[in-house]
Amino acid sequence: MANPVKTGTNLLYALIAQARSYSDTIIMGRGDPDFDTPPHIVEAAKRAMVEHHADYTPPEGLLSLREAIAARVQRVNGFAVDPATEVVVTNGGQEALMLMILAALGPGDSIIVPEPNYNTYHDALKFARADKISIPSTAATNFRTDPDKVRAALTERTRALLLVSPNNPTASVIQRADLEALVALAQERDLVIIADDIYDLFIYDDYKHISPASLPGAKERTLTLNALSKSFSMTGWRLGWIVGPANLMARVRELKAAITGGTSIISQYAGIAALTGPQEPVQMMADAYKRRRKIVMDALDEMGIHYGVPQGGQFVFADISFTGMDSAELAEKILTDQHVLVYPGSAFDQERAQYIRMTFLQPEDKLREGLERMRVAMKKIMGER
Amino acid sequence: MSSQTIARILDAHAQNTLLNTPAPPLTARNAGDLSADSLYAPIDERMIETAATALESGQTHYVDVPGIAPLRAALAETLTQSHGAAYAQPNVIVTAGMQESRFLTLQMIGETVERVAVPKVVHPGVRKALGVRALKLDMLDVDAQMLPTLDTIRATLQGGSRLLFLESPSRLTGAVYSAEAVGQIAALAAEYDAVVIWDQGLAPWTDEYTSLAAHAADRTVAIGEAFPGSGLGSWMIGYIAAPEALVAPMQSQKQIMAICTSTAAQYAALEASKLYADAQPSRRARLKVARQSAVDALGAAVIPGAAANILAVRAPHTQAAVAQLQAADGADFGAPDVLRLTVSVETALPTAAIMGG
Repeated sequence: MANPVKTGTNLLYALIAQARSYSDTIIMGRGDPDFDTPPHIVEAAKRAMVEHHADYTPPEGLLSLREAIAARVQRVNGFAVDPATEVVVTNGGQEALMLMILAALGPGDSIIVPEPNYNTYHDALKFARADKISIPSTAATNFRTDPDKVRAALTERTRALLLVSPNNPTASVIQRADLEALVALAQERDLVIIADDIYDLFIYDDYKHISPASLPGAKERTLTLNALSKSFSMTGWRLGWIVGPANLMARVRELKAAITGGTSIISQYAGIAALTGPQEPVQMMADAYKRRRKIVMDALDEMGIHYGVPQGGQFVFADISFTGMDSAELAEKILTDQHVLVYPGSAFDQERAQYIRMTFLQPEDKLREGLERMRVAMKKIMGER
Repeated sequence: MSSQTIARILDAHAQNTLLNTPAPPLTARNAGDLSADSLYAPIDERMIETAATALESGQTHYVDVPGIAPLRAALAETLTQSHGAAYAQPNVIVTAGMQESRFLTLQMIGETVERVAVPKVVHPGVRKALGVRALKLDMLDVDAQMLPTLDTIRATLQGGSRLLFLESPSRLTGAVYSAEAVGQIAALAAEYDAVVIWDQGLAPWTDEYTSLAAHAADRTVAIGEAFPGSGLGSWMIGYIAAPEALVAPMQSQKQIMAICTSTAAQYAALEASKLYADAQPSRRARLKVARQSAVDALGAAVIPGAAANILAVRAPHTQAAVAQLQAADGADFGAPDVLRLTVSVETALPTAAIMGG
């Protein structure tokens, strides 16, 4: 069996390492957009290297960047935050995620986690010595999180509710009625809402992204993360943020000071350029993802693979149970045979071993080639069984 | 409606004195600010060019969690040449600055041992890192130069601590352990099978230096800023150098909390690695002159130290002096009535004001 001792994040990195050993690998696993960072942002970074290379870097980030973030949150997410006290800049969404978990939960506390979910949440909870209460979902319901199931799962130790929309890895978007019910439940049971909006600019068909904090009464109990990694193709810059009520954000700030102390000054100036400069590159990327999504769905349909229709995000979560294989085994086989990297669902949640996550973060020709190679691999696999 | 859950979080936070320890700024807040950990330094144009070229050529994506390979190799080579321990690329993790180095080492190695020992006088970032998640702590008494004594180290090892955090040079005074003392610490660590996190970040500001890694590389986790003095203080880049077996858990945690360090900083540091051997001695010499003139003026008030970039003085009325001088408050390090000033060739130290307290 593939990677018998590796699970979760370590499993993903083992696969990434294997993928790098081939010269012709097509990456359809990792969430790293193929587009380079837009040139005007690189130019701003170069200016910052000359003019601001030694600027003071407070743990919470430059005020000018926090102001730009506050304006973006108002414009895109529909709620107001005070840049002086309600914004902390982070080393990407990943650090933001870690800080939110540590800010809201202590040892023995539990959090509601709609499953499957991004594997790093599990890692962060383990670090915080907190427990997760899983709320499973399936492709049959497009991975909907049912508020009634959440209510039934709450315990006396439940302190928080995780809402990732669009979800990673399922690409499902929480619909307004469900979100209102979940927020009302959080208010009723006095839960902190941990909201992950990182894919909020990539929404398909007629779906709408709604930030939990934008709903009445939610803002004062919600910590919301976002980052520029996905929206501006800035994964290597490590720039993200958390917004939330000033009292909780004071704790987030101290945690940020304790964990990394600050965020690279060059990335911060690049972030200001991204948030205040031309937004066309984001739309260009969103349009490209829309086309690629269709290419992937068409290919999966052709291969007879069921999946949750991506309502947002940059990936598809596909059901490979018909192969009778564990997803880690399947992912390794596809990688070894055809040099195509897809992520096994078991890396996100052991109960999701029948799924694989496929990103559409490659140019269309490469994506088509990857899908063709995958078709060959699947045919071979099914022929062997 | 008030939230009991949030009230409970805030109450626990208010009681977390370690996490809430005030800390000096990483870089100066203004031209007169002498409190910062990292002094103002001009940046070599070649570093900017290398970083800009990397970004323009598409190095804007995730890179390896422990850092880009050439930078890891360059750090390994620099540390090997400077400190006499044989490091290779797999021993090195590039971090998003000194605080991440402190956090990763203390938390990830700390969770594998029963007790962790840290000096009573230490950089406040250490207390903050320890405040994120509870570990059992022993506090080490320090001598007049603010370094834990060998007797204290022996006693804490006898008492069960198996992870020590030591600064040499001290982040408050710049004092260093002698070669003989380092040898004795290595022997004690070996005798008790302990691991030592060794903060050697200020070592490039000393003329004579012995790293614990030279005596006990197999149980030393060395940490520091990457190429200090190169103008990268605000770019946030540091390192951890450790035996490979200890690298793995820290690398995993780094992946969880940051994925990687910003590429611009890594490529600038890579260029800095090529310039460092030529540039750093003259930088150090200039600061040494500036520091010595302040020492001459201040006399006995100065706590002896070997690092040219900082100066610690025993000063009365510290709170007023902190505000007036924009100095780092020794109380934050655990040493009330001590001030730490960052030495700079651009800004003369206000010795008269220090004496006036």
